[in-house]
This record gives sequence, C-alpha cells and structure tokens, in this order.
Amino acid sequence: MVKIEIDEDACVGCGSCVDDCPNDVYEMDETKNKTKVVKEDDCMACLSCHEICPAEAMEHKNIHVAKRLYIDRRVSGILKKII
Amino acid sequence: MANMEYQIEREEKEVFGDFKPELIPDECGGGIDDYEEALHVLMKFVGSMSSALEQVSGRGANAIVYQAGKRMGHEAAKMVEKTDNLEKAMQELSEVLGIEFYFDMWKPAGQDEYTIEKGNETIVKLIFRDCVVRQTLRRTGLPQKGPLCYLLYGYTVGAVEEVMGIKGKLDIDHVGPNACLKTLTIKWGGK
Repeated sequence: MVKIEIDEDACVGCGSCVDDCPNDVYEMDETKNKTKVVKEDDCMACLSCHEICPAEAMEHKNIHVAKRLYIDRRVSGILKKII
Repeated sequence: MANMEYQIEREEKEVFGDFKPELIPDECGGGIDDYEEALHVLMKFVGSMSSALEQVSGRGANAIVYQAGKRMGHEAAKMVEKTDNLEKAMQELSEVLGIEFYFDMWKPAGQDEYTIEKGNETIVKLIFRDCVVRQTLRRTGLPQKGPLCYLLYGYTVGAVEEVMGIKGKLDIDHVGPNACLKTLTIKWGGK
C-alpha cells in the first residue's frame, strides 16, 4: 500500500499536484492553504506530483520504483560517495 | 602533408583474441560498462530519430510508429498460446513484453473488478511501471505521449490482437516519470 507524506513546512500551497493528479489523490486544505492527501488508495505512483512540485514537499513510500537505465552509473557512483 | 604514423588515441584497450565463426568468444560480450554505453547511444539515436520523424511528418509520425509497433506485436505473439480469456491473455502479454515493460492491471480503490463490460467491449486499465520507451525519452529530453509512446501502444495492441484474435485499442490516460496509465479496450467479435 502506497504511503504519501507531505512536508507541510515545505509545501507552498500552489496546488500543482491537485491539478496534475489523474486520480484526485490530493485536495487543497483551504484553512492551512496546503495540500492534503485524501485518496491515498487511488495513488498509482506515477510520481507526476513529484515532478511538478516546486518545493519537493512530498514523499511516496512502498512503491514500485521504475528502472532508470538512462542514469549514468559512473556519475551516480560519484554522487553516492558525496551524498 | 599527412602524417602516416598518426594513430587515434583511446582510453579503452583494444581487445585481441582468437575468433572462430562457430564459437562466439567471451571477449565479444564486453563488460557492463560496454552495455551501458551501447544502450545510451541507442537511446540517443532512437530519440533523435523520433524527434526528426515528428518534425518531418507531424502527427502522421504517430501513425507510422504505431503501425511499426503493431507489426512487431503481432510477430512477437505469434508463438504464444491463443486464448479468449482476458486474464490469461494479460499473462501472455506480460511474457511477450518482458521485464522491461513491467505492467499490472489497475483499478481505483472503489472499483470491484479490473474489467468493465460495455456492450460488446471490455475495458481494462493497464499501468506500465517499467518502460524502456519512457527511459529513452527521459535520456533524450523528449516529452512523453509522442511517437515513441505509440510504438509501445502499437506493440501492445498487436500482441493482444494476436493472442486473443480480436480487435484492440489502447488509449494513453496519463503519463508520469514513474508509471503510465493506459486503457485497453477489447472489441469482441470485431476482427
């Protein structure tokens, strides 16, 4: 089961994720002016919301992480040592 | 005057070995780095080909690539056992598409069944989690839902048509960096 966590301190309340999600997983919390997760079970982990979020305020847990063979292994190896 | 002694300098060592036509020597396989480099070169080639095709043919590019994919799908599924059972067909399709096009059937939490019956049509949502096409597009900085996506579209439809002996249609509902949702519509008795 997918678990979505929103970092409320980071969320800028732009609503991009609400507009972009095809399954209406998110809604705007009008009182806080932040995104809230309302239909977590309908999340298919496409991660469009991740890509569109300007604040990188969300994290998806327990999902199928798609292969990214386009990533340069040498570069990611160097990054792993730094980070 | 050209220097006849000049040689191209490379970091990689040239491989020397014995070659017999009937035996493929280990040296021909290369290491994982060679495969990675070859894959990236191919991704760049395919990406630029798709981009140029779109530039020249406009929206017609999708139809050309779709036809190519469909033919590939029919060819790939020729040896697969034929069935009119959708679940079995999906199993066969997953074997045809292979691990690089890892997909599942998908439904929203409130829906009981994966399939929806509509007159003489059956509709099923497919979620493609791993996809080489998506990776190629990201490698080359091209947008999704372009001609290359139609290659997989045609490939899937061709394979389903071959396995089930019916007419199929695949619509792209949503594309994302980690998964893409597509709707497969099967038209019974429509061949």
